[in-house]
Amino acid sequence: MTGHNHGNWAVRVPHYFALTVIGVLALFPMWFMAVTGLKNGIQLEQNPFSLAIAQPFGTFYRQAWDYIDGDMLRTVLITAASVVGITVLGMLSAYAFARMEFLGSTVLFYVVFGLLLIPSFLTLIPLFLEVRGMGLIDNPAALILPYIAGGQAFAIFVFRSSIQGIPEEFFEAARIDGATHLRMLLRIAAPLSRPIMIAVGLLNVTAIWGDYVFPSLVLPVSRQTAAMAVGNFQPPPSVPDINVVNLQFAAYTIVSVPIILLFIFFIRYFIAGLATGAVKM
Amino acid sequence: MSRTLKAWAFLAPTFIFVGTFCYWPAIRALEGAFTSWDGVSAPKWIGLKNFYQLFHDSVFLGSFLHLLWWSLIGIPVGMGASLLVALLIYRLDSKRAQYWFRVAFALTLCLPGIVGILTWENFYEIGGVIDTLLSDVGLGRFDTAWLANPHTALGALIFMGFPWVGAFAMLVFYAGLQSIPGEIIDAASVDGISSLRRVWHVELPLIKGQLKVILILSIIGITQNLLPPLLLTGGGPANTTWVPVLYMYENAFQYAQMGYALSIAFILFVVSLVLALVTMRYLRSDNETRRRVA
Repeated sequence: MTGHNHGNWAVRVPHYFALTVIGVLALFPMWFMAVTGLKNGIQLEQNPFSLAIAQPFGTFYRQAWDYIDGDMLRTVLITAASVVGITVLGMLSAYAFARMEFLGSTVLFYVVFGLLLIPSFLTLIPLFLEVRGMGLIDNPAALILPYIAGGQAFAIFVFRSSIQGIPEEFFEAARIDGATHLRMLLRIAAPLSRPIMIAVGLLNVTAIWGDYVFPSLVLPVSRQTAAMAVGNFQPPPSVPDINVVNLQFAAYTIVSVPIILLFIFFIRYFIAGLATGAVKM
Repeated sequence: MSRTLKAWAFLAPTFIFVGTFCYWPAIRALEGAFTSWDGVSAPKWIGLKNFYQLFHDSVFLGSFLHLLWWSLIGIPVGMGASLLVALLIYRLDSKRAQYWFRVAFALTLCLPGIVGILTWENFYEIGGVIDTLLSDVGLGRFDTAWLANPHTALGALIFMGFPWVGAFAMLVFYAGLQSIPGEIIDAASVDGISSLRRVWHVELPLIKGQLKVILILSIIGITQNLLPPLLLTGGGPANTTWVPVLYMYENAFQYAQMGYALSIAFILFVVSLVLALVTMRYLRSDNETRRRVA
């Protein structure tokens, strides 16, 4: 506990107060979105900060869910397929770089490192033309395949250092039993890297879930993702104009809920994964 | 030899994917910058003509100026806010409180990027959260559409995301602070230096490695920050919110000028690469600094 404030109340109170104020401000958009989905347009216009609730309770949430449920399911499937692909391929490569000696290992590692220098705006246009040339437009594969490729560099770096950190004795014992590399990857490297796999998976989930630009280029509105649905919101004609904004905020909240649940479930791993201090130069 | 083949079998899926969906489009992008291309018919090689045209294109030149402002304000403010919160949490006296504050700030990552942007669009509307707050604190009613007013639109985009704490950056800084050896902090306390001097002379030099990563990520991140201007202003009003990446996007997908768009991407890529390399070169890594201090 060296160097922390054991100071008196005159120091402690402002210290906690400052952090709380910044935290409340940082979380305010989430709160605002959830609350605005509960009130109607007139209540919002009167006071955007009020806690008014429109009757019947949650009506906009129900309508927003009907609007977005199909897109949510589609987005869950696209995100899950991408993150599984990133993790499986990333672990295979990370294991090879960490545990196997082979011709070209240095060169191939630099090829992976070079990926970090390719920004997404550079590849956006040719990638769009490429998947169109492959006939993948309107197909979720047009998203999943590039997402798997785009997630490799970061995943391989982090997984590789995690596997390198596993004590040699674990692998030695397995080798004596005649285990193959694939077996050691499945039985030793993967289970011991679970926290970091979850942390990387979570970062990928948030990035893919909220992606708007590339999906809106390759998917039609009839098969859109949840982020596209909120970006190109088309209110049902039955909703009066003044309440459209509340319906939108209900939809924003619904789109955010799966990520919030995942974070709450895995926050320990996430915090621990980033606390290892691996991210620096 | 069989060992090499085995390893390559492990690596093959990754390399097939990154070759097809990362390296190939990147190469196409770099060569496309020197062509006239509508995206449908075959590209026609025109040498440096796109670049010549860009340097006479006032919208493009203006967009770089906007990006410069955005970076000069946005990066220090974003990194400063994240660092401040990391320091405040690190200096808390209870480990439990440290953990829960980290959780609270990590939760801001749950808001999908597009949802955060659309929420801020609502904040900026006439009679919205910003107007209401300003009049509540006695600054009067501005009743301006902040994003539609040419005098305020770019500023509103830059201000968006207040209080600008990046949860990822904050957690990385915190991890760096945590890894500072206790003896160094003890030595500083014995010398009786003030809290602020300790930040400047002890803690900041020791997390230079983290500051460097986040600075490089911020430079790359801000050059590809397409979504806010695309969704909220589309470059307007009166061309005051163009940034290069938006101009690239519109040229490609609105005007079907793929070659011209790729020459913008080319310039942006070179500029951000040079800035990232300069940052890596001129900020000493924390390993070297630690050796100096110890």
